[in-house]
Amino acid sequence: MLTHVLSLGAASGLTKGFGIAIGGGLGAVGAGVGIGIIFGKVIEAVTRQPEMRDEITSIQWLGFALTEAVFFYGLVAGLLSYVLT
Amino acid sequence: MTDRLNKLTTKQILWILVGVWLGGTIILIAALGFGHRNNEFQIQNEFKLVNWTHWGVFSINRAVVYLFLAAFLTVGTMLWISRRMQMRPNRVQTAVETLYSLMRDNITRGNMPDSMARTWFPFLAALFLFLWWSNIIGYLPLPTNSEQTFNLFGAHIPSFALYASTANISVPLVLAVIVFVIFNVVGITKQGPIGYTKSLIPSGVHGPILLLIFPLEVVSTFTRLISLTVRLFANILAGHLIILFMAGGLAVILGLSFLGWALLPVAVLVYLFELGLIATLQAFIFATLAAIYIAGSVTHH
Repeated sequence: MLTHVLSLGAASGLTKGFGIAIGGGLGAVGAGVGIGIIFGKVIEAVTRQPEMRDEITSIQWLGFALTEAVFFYGLVAGLLSYVLT
Repeated sequence: MTDRLNKLTTKQILWILVGVWLGGTIILIAALGFGHRNNEFQIQNEFKLVNWTHWGVFSINRAVVYLFLAAFLTVGTMLWISRRMQMRPNRVQTAVETLYSLMRDNITRGNMPDSMARTWFPFLAALFLFLWWSNIIGYLPLPTNSEQTFNLFGAHIPSFALYASTANISVPLVLAVIVFVIFNVVGITKQGPIGYTKSLIPSGVHGPILLLIFPLEVVSTFTRLISLTVRLFANILAGHLIILFMAGGLAVILGLSFLGWALLPVAVLVYLFELGLIATLQAFIFATLAAIYIAGSVTHH
């Protein structure tokens, strides 16, 4: 499946942009799911224990930033493939 | 006219704005049509470092200017505020005190035992403030693009450009190396070389599985260097790239003039998101992780 997509991309002259497309796209899928889970869990936690709100908020931003960074790893890998090819 | 404007509800104003946006797009398509791809414009030139002086390693380019500006602002604002502390705080002092309590309570004390927090607070606060200023001035247009100049009353002034020193991989890398050296040195001096090596192994792991776990833990210690660097660098670079693309870069590259108008609201939203959340959050994360690593190197886990 993936090789098919890759050969399709190579055939249509998209080789240079393809790395960014795959890196950014797949990275965004993972980070999107992760950020959704984090904020969903935060809402659950705060509705159960509203008095813990401040503590949860600071951990929430830590988790958000760590997850969001995963998207940028994909993007940077894509940019590297763009630069190197 | 003003009476009429006051009578409009929020919903109507919103619809008028959407109408102006859509109408503008359609008019621009009709008037200018579809152009051709522009191959002259190189997106990487926006992040190019041009040496302004030729002093070898000490040459000054715009990243250096941004670094000096951030360092000056870090020291300057704090000294200026501390000189004119008042019993009844004004607005600026309240903001700085909020920032100070964020650095003291959340970053340092939240992740370290109190005795260590006293030692490491100056370093972590300086790290946070320096990164924060670096990120914030990265979203102010400053006349730094010396490749493209414009003429103002006969003087050639460099174009105004958005650039951040932290969008250059070397700046976060140096800061991450400093943090890496510090937490290793602190760990080795507090626990001794053998004790520190042992503390890398998670507690409760014995026997032959150590052959698998120990290299993994060593690798993960070095991965901290990469993840600290890439997180900050890639976040800021991607933010600047998206703002650049949405606020005209795509229109120039693809030669579709209407895209410049159509994507402008997205550019403004991304700009506000980056300035309001990401700039502060990335500085906060970098300092928090530095605190966690330094505190983790002296305790056995």
